[in-house]
Amino acid sequence: MSNNSVASSTPSVTTPETASVTLRVARPQRQEQWQEYIVPVEEHFTVVDCLEYIRGHLDPTLMFRHSCHHGSCGTCGMIINGRQQLACLARVSELEQPITVSPMVTMEHIGDLAVDPTPLFRHFPKKADYLRPSEFNRESVPPEEVGQYQRFENCIECGLCVSACPVISQDQFMGPAALAAYNRELEKNPHRGDELLPEVAGADGASRCDRHLSCSAVCPTGVYPAKHIAQLQKKIRQWQS
Amino acid sequence: MGRNKTHGHVVVIGGGGSGAAILHDLIQRGFTATLIERGELTSGTTGRHHGQLHSGARYAVGDRDIARECMEEVLILQKIAPQSLEMNYGLFVALNEQDYAFGDQFIEACHESTIPAKDIPVARALEMEPLVNPAILRAVQVPDGTIDAWRLPLQFFATARAGGAEIHTFTEVVGITSAHGSVTGVDVRELSTGRESHIAADAVISATGAWAGKVAALAGAHLDITPAPGTMVSVKKRLNNMVISQLHPAGDGDIIVPQRGLSTIGSTQWHTDDPDRITVPAEDITYLMKRGAELIPAFADTPFHAAWSAARPLAGAATTDADGRSLSRDFTALEHSHDGLKGFISVIGGKATVLRAMGEQTVDVLCNLMRVDEPCTTATTPLLSHRAMYRQDLGEVPAPASAVTGGTV
Repeated sequence: MSNNSVASSTPSVTTPETASVTLRVARPQRQEQWQEYIVPVEEHFTVVDCLEYIRGHLDPTLMFRHSCHHGSCGTCGMIINGRQQLACLARVSELEQPITVSPMVTMEHIGDLAVDPTPLFRHFPKKADYLRPSEFNRESVPPEEVGQYQRFENCIECGLCVSACPVISQDQFMGPAALAAYNRELEKNPHRGDELLPEVAGADGASRCDRHLSCSAVCPTGVYPAKHIAQLQKKIRQWQS
Repeated sequence: MGRNKTHGHVVVIGGGGSGAAILHDLIQRGFTATLIERGELTSGTTGRHHGQLHSGARYAVGDRDIARECMEEVLILQKIAPQSLEMNYGLFVALNEQDYAFGDQFIEACHESTIPAKDIPVARALEMEPLVNPAILRAVQVPDGTIDAWRLPLQFFATARAGGAEIHTFTEVVGITSAHGSVTGVDVRELSTGRESHIAADAVISATGAWAGKVAALAGAHLDITPAPGTMVSVKKRLNNMVISQLHPAGDGDIIVPQRGLSTIGSTQWHTDDPDRITVPAEDITYLMKRGAELIPAFADTPFHAAWSAARPLAGAATTDADGRSLSRDFTALEHSHDGLKGFISVIGGKATVLRAMGEQTVDVLCNLMRVDEPCTTATTPLLSHRAMYRQDLGEVPAPASAVTGGTV
């Protein structure tokens, strides 16, 4: 059953490249402010791979958040070439050089590229379920012990949407991640409407969204927070009437 | 600080799964505790785990004790941290006659390890997982699952912090101090400012995995640890809901773990000298994509998502002392009194699934050393939500939305 063909987007591995890339890394709390590093790379390298190389070979003081390296944990959100992205999914072969990397905004800065994500959670709903029924392979029949396949929510709480939202940086706004979490919770547990809808019906809630759609554009896991905010606005209108 | 009322102050080095569980256990048993991590939490090996919640079936033929411990911990984690688990079970599938023949001893070993493995007709297995290779010869169902490798440790950290633990990330331990044959604390440096300070401690626990040799050297102790990195590859679609493993003795590229919207194949293994300098070998990606397609043919046609490596800690010669300190064959909490460092403990080995047990066994060693008589309560203490790490009033965990948390075994 072996199959040698791989998907077309799989990194080429027949001729490992010995190219190098230049990264321009923000270090706001240090005197130098920005620092350039030259990193040898192969085609499959990501920005996180480069940052690990820098820390392991060039500068052990470089601060950045990372954990899973495959877009599941949500810790390595950064602004890469002007766009909010997960560093572990940003392939250097697809980025213009020098690759400019700076920390997310609207979070509390810790050092270099690292931020404290606490502001992301400031407006999250309490007791929001992180599991949902799996929609994959709908035709499948789970084991009797399982009943229904479950999976984690799409939102990995990375904060890219909060960093990209033009409203949050200027005004009081609960923000796309929290509002999407409210809508997901209400989709799963409609009976919580009387409890949760008042919390998002204020001036800083769903109505404050200006429909820039930046949140949906940068979301790495297809949550589309703007869609959830629109649905939440509708739920609020129905609840108020 | 109220430390006089506690059993003592313990510094834990390393913010991975072991450190998380040790920190939580220390707080539960009445110690005060401070955790030091040089980067973000779980940025070493733990977070890069492929995410398999092991029923123990994978280990049963080789070691019934480890397998039994995995099964026990799966049942415990379902009770204390259900929000960090996709409890969808697993299938071990035979790809050839050799695998088929291995099935009998596999099931027997599982049963001897309390794992409710059962033969499933191939047609039924393909109903459960329609994209599995239709040419499989045999399928065995086991209670495997998926861990969120970031959020499960975070639940331990959040609960420990709510109980008073201090957690310092982006802070590096640069020295381990001792006097008169006992450890006295650690010297640390904040990465953002370069500021150095000393933290006094009655005991210091190094839960640094593949880095344990480097950390022990700070105290002048020698520890043989071989960092053994392995590569994993994810594709951009969830092809399976159950964990799909090849029914054979464990090897490279023989497990596909689903998680969220992805499927991940793992793993390879090689050895390195320096866990800070591992990269992803390009040839591993080709190999794993090919192996993935043997278990699930659609793997080959699914867009590549990510490839990464994680450095497992392989215990070297230093852990083979037959002096009674060894707690189990896969995991050891080594106390360094013989190095003139009473109160310094190195944690070696271990698996993500049994992180809570590693915390219990390590704190047992500490309690024994410090003559503290406090029972472990972590097996029955529900953990706070991972979000409580950032906002404590988000700690309450919702009741499961449906009846699915894995059932009883």
